[in-house]
Amino acid sequence: MSYSDKVLDHYSNPRNVGSMDKSSSDVGTGLVGAPECGDVMKLQIKVNPETNIIEDAKFKTFGCGSAIASSSLATEWVKGKTIDEALEIKNTEIVKELALPPVKIHCSVLAEDAIRAAIGDWKKKQEASKPAVMQAK
Amino acid sequence: MANTESKSSLIVPGDATASCWSCGTMRATHFCSACGKVQPPVPVDYFSFFGFPRKLNLDAALLEKEFYALSRRLHPDVFVQSATQERSWSLEQSSLLNDAYRTLKDPIKRTEYLLRLEGVELEEQSKQATEKARATGELKKQVVPPDLLEEVFELNMHLEELRAQKKMGEDDPALLEEIGKAKLSLEEKNGALFSELKSEWKEWDAAVDSGSEDERKTIRDKMLDVVNRRNYIRNLLRDVNEAIES
Repeated sequence: MSYSDKVLDHYSNPRNVGSMDKSSSDVGTGLVGAPECGDVMKLQIKVNPETNIIEDAKFKTFGCGSAIASSSLATEWVKGKTIDEALEIKNTEIVKELALPPVKIHCSVLAEDAIRAAIGDWKKKQEASKPAVMQAK
Repeated sequence: MANTESKSSLIVPGDATASCWSCGTMRATHFCSACGKVQPPVPVDYFSFFGFPRKLNLDAALLEKEFYALSRRLHPDVFVQSATQERSWSLEQSSLLNDAYRTLKDPIKRTEYLLRLEGVELEEQSKQATEKARATGELKKQVVPPDLLEEVFELNMHLEELRAQKKMGEDDPALLEEIGKAKLSLEEKNGALFSELKSEWKEWDAAVDSGSEDERKTIRDKMLDVVNRRNYIRNLLRDVNEAIES
């Protein structure tokens, strides 16, 4: 099986590799894995609480080229989007963009999962901080 | 749940009661019990192929004995002088026999095969869960538990560090020690999961005899959970060993 040019590009030149402070209130972290292949993917987003816009995204993936490319692409796509817009990203769009073969579809699923998990984590943090604000009033 | 693609690789239980093509008496799976002629392969699962119930505690010695006995009788060399059709049946039956033996002999492959027979699509789990989460708007339940994921991620970070150091010709005993400890803990986990799986086997086998469908489904899902976690550990152990030995 050969990788598409786009996969190779993301693989050899991954965008937004790195990490952010997990404990920061405006950072959401998604850590997901696929039992099919044993890959593990961490995707983090930094959200502006005023606008709900994702201002920055970082990832670190241990896995095959397709998994790395999928997560690299995912960070590119979520940047500048609002939380709701980012939730619209579907794995099939990643498959299309990267021309992933059927056996690598789970890599794109993992990337979608990671986005959702990161947003879920961020939302949880926002809700957790709400009562504190109410009390302060 | 219905997915013809993944099911097509399975041999589903079928009608094995047809009569012998040669003498017309009731036929057995591999050879006619009356005239002894080789029979065309019938669609049966690997358990039925050996005449075993769909249970997971399997007598390995008996499996091996049956395998060698059938191998000898079904071997295409025996049919060199036979009609073309019989020759090709012996070939088909032999290849089925080999697949069935290899699958049932290995405890994990056997479990995974049974899970497939019981309607689990091992390769589709993650996708199905994602689609469900998308449809309901809920957060997807991860197939792999979060604490294990954390551990996997941490260890992968250490391994990456180790590889980088080796490239530079450096050597950090503290890092190696850390990875060595992680390896031991993984091996322990691997062993514990296998024991857990074996106790699920017992429950499953009992439920085959007298359990309800719901009970069997619950045990099936528990086994699936163990198999998933174990696959993760297995891959990680492989990576650890590669990184240490490279």
